[in-house]
Amino acid sequence: MSVSYSAAAVDQRSAFASGETPARPARRPVHRSLLRTGSLLAFIAVFVAFSLASPLFLTFTNIATVIGQSAIVGILAFGLTSVIIGGGSDVVRGGIDLSLASNLGLGSAVYASLIQAGYGDATAIVATLAVGLSVGLVNAVSIVGIGILPLLATVAVMNICSGLELVLTQNTAISVSTPWLDLLSGADRFGIPYLAYAIGAVAAVLIVALQYTAYGLRLYAVGEHREAARAAGLPVPAYVVSSYLISGLCGGIAAILYTALLSGSTTGSSEMLLPVVATALLGNVFSGRLLPTIGGTLLSTLLIGFLANGFQLLHVSSYWVSGIQGLLILSVVAATSLARRRRS
Amino acid sequence: MTVVASNPPAASRREQRPARQDSPRLRRLLQYGLMIALIGVSAFFALMSPTFLTPANFGSILVNSFALPAIIAIAMTLAVGSGGIDLSVATAIDLASLAYVSAVAAGWAFPVAVLAGLAAAALTGIFNGLLITGLNITPFLATLGTLFIGRSVQQVLANGGNPVYLSPSKLSTAVKFLAHGSFLGIPLPLYVVGLIALAAFILLELTIFGRSVRAIGARPQVAYFSGLKVRRDIAWIYLLSALVSGSAGILLSSTVSAYIPYSGNAFLLNAIGAAFIGTTLGARGHANIPGTILGVLLLAIIANGLLLIGWNFYWQQVGTGVFIFLILTFSFASKRRQQG
Repeated sequence: MSVSYSAAAVDQRSAFASGETPARPARRPVHRSLLRTGSLLAFIAVFVAFSLASPLFLTFTNIATVIGQSAIVGILAFGLTSVIIGGGSDVVRGGIDLSLASNLGLGSAVYASLIQAGYGDATAIVATLAVGLSVGLVNAVSIVGIGILPLLATVAVMNICSGLELVLTQNTAISVSTPWLDLLSGADRFGIPYLAYAIGAVAAVLIVALQYTAYGLRLYAVGEHREAARAAGLPVPAYVVSSYLISGLCGGIAAILYTALLSGSTTGSSEMLLPVVATALLGNVFSGRLLPTIGGTLLSTLLIGFLANGFQLLHVSSYWVSGIQGLLILSVVAATSLARRRRS
Repeated sequence: MTVVASNPPAASRREQRPARQDSPRLRRLLQYGLMIALIGVSAFFALMSPTFLTPANFGSILVNSFALPAIIAIAMTLAVGSGGIDLSVATAIDLASLAYVSAVAAGWAFPVAVLAGLAAAALTGIFNGLLITGLNITPFLATLGTLFIGRSVQQVLANGGNPVYLSPSKLSTAVKFLAHGSFLGIPLPLYVVGLIALAAFILLELTIFGRSVRAIGARPQVAYFSGLKVRRDIAWIYLLSALVSGSAGILLSSTVSAYIPYSGNAFLLNAIGAAFIGTTLGARGHANIPGTILGVLLLAIIANGLLLIGWNFYWQQVGTGVFIFLILTFSFASKRRQQG
């Protein structure tokens, strides 16, 4: 079942060695909290190092700008996080939504085309959110209703979405400008971009919904132990469906912000998929029990945003940014798996 | 996950294979799901377009939209067969392409250039193997990290990710022959595909190594406790996957006479799709080379057929997505009915 054959195997071996029933994992949260503290410390270290190295880094405007720039990837990563919470973290058989980036591309194309065709912002917003939700619904029906593996179903939906985007835009950039879009891409009088408010608002809503309500707790139960959740009488399919709907809606919201930021729809939104996946998976280490959480994903979004920004300010070549992201993912995941291994 | 005894009854019920044999007719039909899909799709396009069933069209499908994706999907099948996934096939393709093109541009002999390309690809495979077996990182995340790092490596090595073009005067006859030559009337890239597919098939189905890999893919813990050398075999799989992808990179850059940065990414999702379609629609029930080849062929035929019946490039992508979706729906729905 599990893809991480080795981690699972080691877990079991250690459980056997200590003579316990493997069903009840021995808990010693020290390493986990150490890891969590460690990753928070790493976050702070990155922050302090850049502040010392560049006088421009720790300024109010710069911080606000970075948060604004991270909004789109961040909101998509929130969507993916909710799917992983509800589907379990096994990448192939658990929850994953690879259609998010194409969902954004399609939504943005719909928004720009509607504005171009003379419709107002309100219509375009409703249509974009509806597109996002429908993509989520198609994913949900094919995964829950038909039973297709999430990885495969969302890859197929991804193809359909990016195809529809091409049909709509004829593979060209559609530039649009409305007062509302200009406002959204701008900043308030304190210099805080409205995109920063947007990611803050979405994060706040999702943190409350997923971390502090009965719904959220049950979604975790469904994701972590489906059979137990079913035995406890939870309507498991409904919860999984809801996680894909959240994800689709996040795609729609991100599409509106994307259109505002780029003043229209452009090709190449699919480039965003892998960074989004990386961000969502990286978020795990910021939670106490190494679970996917919205707060953790927010932190990892900001960490990656600050890293990219700091390197830019230090005139480090942008060539290195994606390599450093990769190393970051690997070191964080390696640390996680070491922490799990020590749990004996 | 845990020992079976501690699982709730509902979980172990799913594990019981014999329950599946309740409807033998449907099961037998499903065994040939992929063949049926392939024949059905071909018949549909043959009816819709007179040019579809011509040898020239099939030659074009095989050379232009089958050869490279097939090699990359074979690499993916190795990883999927061992219960993992290899997202860094794209990195292996690009790095092999870069090393090979640089070597050819520097005037190295053709075999040396090929070796340089394969060596560059092997580096990504070794790196993956170390991450997965040494640091216990799940294959998805390990190869995702490699993919990101590979992007930076390309940017640094190729001066910001600029393409490297080979001037025609520098191309040796060997390079041209590899890309555009033919032997006994069959284009050379197809021989490369055939050789790699045959080697991978023998390796996975007919050797002890292959049996061990399949065991690891099906039941990792059981394989581990049965004393199989899980780590060693997994490390080999990712090295092989990278080498196979690397040969696709070499073939790709011979065809276009250039190194184009990040060109491997375009193949990634289709390779995953083909490998999983081959797994789920095939007779064997595990990732296998014939299934993957048929899967790639199916995707290539759909793309070609839609083009022939007059869909433009944009609608073609929508159509491909819808076709894959329908095939998956059919496959999973019938599987579910069978189990339920």
